[in-house]
Amino acid sequence: MLERNKKKLAQIYGFLAFIALALPVVANNYVLNTFSDVFFYVVVCLGLNIVVGYAGLLDLGYAAFFAVGAYTTAVLTSHFGVNFWLTIPCAIFFSAVSGVVIGGPTLRLRSDYLAIVTLGFGEIVRISARNLKITGGSGGIFGIDRPFFFGIEMKDNIHFYYAFLCLAFLAIFISHRLQYSRLGRAWQYVREDEDAAEAMGINRVRVKLAAYVIGAVFGGVAGCFFAVKMTAISPETFMFTQSLLILLGVIIGGRGKIPGVICGAFVLVLFPEIFRFVGDMRLLAFAIIMLILMLKRPQGLWPERLG
Amino acid sequence: MFKKSLLMMVSAALAVVLAAGTGLAAGEVKVGIMIPTTGGTATDGKDMESAIKLAADEINAAGGLLGKTIVTTTGDDACDPQQAVAAASKLISEGVVGVVGGYCSSATLPTLALYGEAKVPFVITASNSTALVGANPGIGFMINSTGDAQADTAVGLFESLGVKSVAIVHMGEAYSEDLAKISRSKWEAKGNKVVAYEVVNKGEQDFSSLVTTLKAKNPDAIFWTAYYAEGALLIKQLRQAGYRGKIAIGDGSNSPKLIEIAGRAAEGVYCFSNPIVDYLPAAKGFAENFKKKYNVAPGPYSTLSYDGMMLFADAVKRAGSFDKAAVAKALKATKDYQGIAGPISFTDKLTLARSNFVVLNVKDQKWQLHK
Amino acid sequence: MSTLDIIFQQLVNGLILGSFYSLVALGYSMVYGIIKLLNFAHGDIYMVGSFVGLILLGLLSPFLGAGWAGILVAMIISMILVGLLGVFIQRIAYVPMLSAPRLSILITALAVSMVLYNFVMSMTSGEYKAFPVDLGYEGLEFGHVFITYTQIILVSSTALLMTVLHFFINKTMLGKAMRAISIDQDACRLMGINVNSIIALTFFVGSALACAAGVMAGVYYGSIHFFMGFLIGLKAFTAAVIGGIGSIPGAVLGGLILGLLESFGTQLPFIGSEWKDVFAFGILILLLLFKPTGLLGKTEIERM
Repeated sequence: MLERNKKKLAQIYGFLAFIALALPVVANNYVLNTFSDVFFYVVVCLGLNIVVGYAGLLDLGYAAFFAVGAYTTAVLTSHFGVNFWLTIPCAIFFSAVSGVVIGGPTLRLRSDYLAIVTLGFGEIVRISARNLKITGGSGGIFGIDRPFFFGIEMKDNIHFYYAFLCLAFLAIFISHRLQYSRLGRAWQYVREDEDAAEAMGINRVRVKLAAYVIGAVFGGVAGCFFAVKMTAISPETFMFTQSLLILLGVIIGGRGKIPGVICGAFVLVLFPEIFRFVGDMRLLAFAIIMLILMLKRPQGLWPERLG
Repeated sequence: MFKKSLLMMVSAALAVVLAAGTGLAAGEVKVGIMIPTTGGTATDGKDMESAIKLAADEINAAGGLLGKTIVTTTGDDACDPQQAVAAASKLISEGVVGVVGGYCSSATLPTLALYGEAKVPFVITASNSTALVGANPGIGFMINSTGDAQADTAVGLFESLGVKSVAIVHMGEAYSEDLAKISRSKWEAKGNKVVAYEVVNKGEQDFSSLVTTLKAKNPDAIFWTAYYAEGALLIKQLRQAGYRGKIAIGDGSNSPKLIEIAGRAAEGVYCFSNPIVDYLPAAKGFAENFKKKYNVAPGPYSTLSYDGMMLFADAVKRAGSFDKAAVAKALKATKDYQGIAGPISFTDKLTLARSNFVVLNVKDQKWQLHK
Repeated sequence: MSTLDIIFQQLVNGLILGSFYSLVALGYSMVYGIIKLLNFAHGDIYMVGSFVGLILLGLLSPFLGAGWAGILVAMIISMILVGLLGVFIQRIAYVPMLSAPRLSILITALAVSMVLYNFVMSMTSGEYKAFPVDLGYEGLEFGHVFITYTQIILVSSTALLMTVLHFFINKTMLGKAMRAISIDQDACRLMGINVNSIIALTFFVGSALACAAGVMAGVYYGSIHFFMGFLIGLKAFTAAVIGGIGSIPGAVLGGLILGLLESFGTQLPFIGSEWKDVFAFGILILLLLFKPTGLLGKTEIERM
């Protein structure tokens, strides 16, 4: 049964990968931009999935990590003239550090108190970005240079389409490896029963911290690419609603299940775009669909037996 | 079973998205409108959209543009940078020959690079943060004066009123902080004092603690640089707490709603604004047509938006083609185009060559032109 | 104004703001205490409440005028209506989810919140609506400290509502049943308590309180719009957590503390008022680090 599922899943992945690679042949700029967004949300949702899905920690401030990555790239390239590709390791470093800063002191809190603390940290990061000089204040940083990739300037939608597609593949691959690793099993253990896990010799704090740090790095790297794609970032992008949106994607899809989370990211981006034709009611239509999806499939979109 | 329906749902979604941006009949030409139609600024956005559509209808009724009918297509930027980029990409993919609109500066900002790469000329009718000037790749044409001009108007008014100390309050987003910053430096450059420089959060209702702070510093005038919704509450609470100095507000607060919400507290408030319909003799016909068609009075940015569409059409005629580069060139060469909100020419930075700011004053629950 | 005057005035400001937070936080805490749900839609109930109040005030003012009588009647009717809306939401959205994972209910609440505010946004086309009441600027002056009569009335009615709630929960059978359910649902079922209807009652009371706060906010501030519930929902959540979520006196205490933190946050020395939210959240985080269950919360062992 399990083998068959695995094979089936591999087939689905292969099919989707083929479609994704071939899409630019038929698609226009708008479609490419929309799908770059989808892949972007695939990466951040998978990142949050590590915290929420694998380790079972409720995080309401995930946009903070994404902000750290985006601002690292923006500040380093604009103020210090650092090459974009060199900012990625810096962003990984800073987001990992922020993961430790947020995760470290809060891990002994109960889940709902943890939720408000992560929310608080998220807001603190955003307000700091709004108030500090180096981050450009509330106007943010604009005119971020486009990166070069082997001599090609990345400026068209198609470049970012492939960039985010690669990132999404990478995120899926890493998530997959993590899920079945020793650490992944430890997360599952801690999620299901913390005390029993501790009794079995799992260092609960270290395991949870690892979830925070790895999740933060996903967000940070996605943020780097987000900054150069948008060429302008401002604190408004990292509001609490952004964190909620990412969490919505994870839960709608089915937390802890990689294909589910991917579905969630698709739903998150595609539905509001599809409903553009209903005009002002588009967000209402999106909200109603979300509610129905949640009520019909409380465990998430992706069916249990395939996960 | 469920997998099948999921698959069908996703493929249907794909099909809809893929199909977007096709289907334009011969003899038609598409012009994009980028404004917020959802979110807290939707009211102003829709008002602008109506004005632009009215202009397009009038052009079509008069025989179209170079023999073609104008079809408008709206991209909702929701006053949010991320959604603005999606909306701009959508408009570009739909093959628009130009875009008119732009309300929130923060949302307009990241779209400039996109329009620049697609070479789509963009007539910016409301956004006026000075940040846009530096980020403009040569396709954005700002027909509302920038924050610089507004700050000059503000400083001029304060001096003429004999104000010595000013408190400035902004809302922590691109437009209002830009205006606050420029006003502060211009005011201080004249040797005057800014006794308080404060910020409030978007969506807050209770400003009592800020009001106490301001009242304690007792400035001669308080300058609110952000939008009308929070501005009305601030004005009301300032007056309730017994502040008796002068209050001035920026063009984002120019709305009849401000008076409606603030009530009698709004009496005597000064507003720097692009001219509103009531004081534009040339806009009389426009106001009547607008009322007839939409059954509401035109809002604060409607005249500029109407002018934006008309100016674009004028540039196309002058260029003699829909070629984007030629249209952009023609726009740049605009010399004293007579819009209903006043003449339009551009500086070499593509901003409005004159300051279109006037000072309004609330008298008997109505905006009056301040002499 | 002397420094002392400023401190007293900020104290007054903080208490008024805090009483709004408390009223909304109460509903948060009651629902959490009973079904362990962070009801993200609660702020939007507050928002819907103010809109219902506005509509009713418009309908009633020809008969009762836009003075206190009209406001009082409009408020009571809208409390009942919005309370029923709360029960309706609970029936539709939360009852089917009670056996689902807790995170799923949380997201359902989020979806409900999105539906509510997007609905109101579509109905009002995102406009700010002015409340057609003008209550005057008169008030009492103690030195330089100024309190309007409106403020006094609002704070006393908040206090009254809280007192009624206190008696309802501590002195009546229904209140006793509520408290029992928050301790052990299954045992309550065995004792013949109709758990579902008590939960519905909790939603009714919580939503009615939020509605009262919404109407009062509309009357006091004078304008309402579809997104006003978001920020106060966030603040009420914070307030409930400060006090210890699930605890009713805690919600009141937390609301007042948050209100005070915010109003004194604008007076911070050396750094400007733009940091006041960082200050409030910073205090919250520090508090939770040292007292992980909030000020009045109970320690419990948790199973997700």
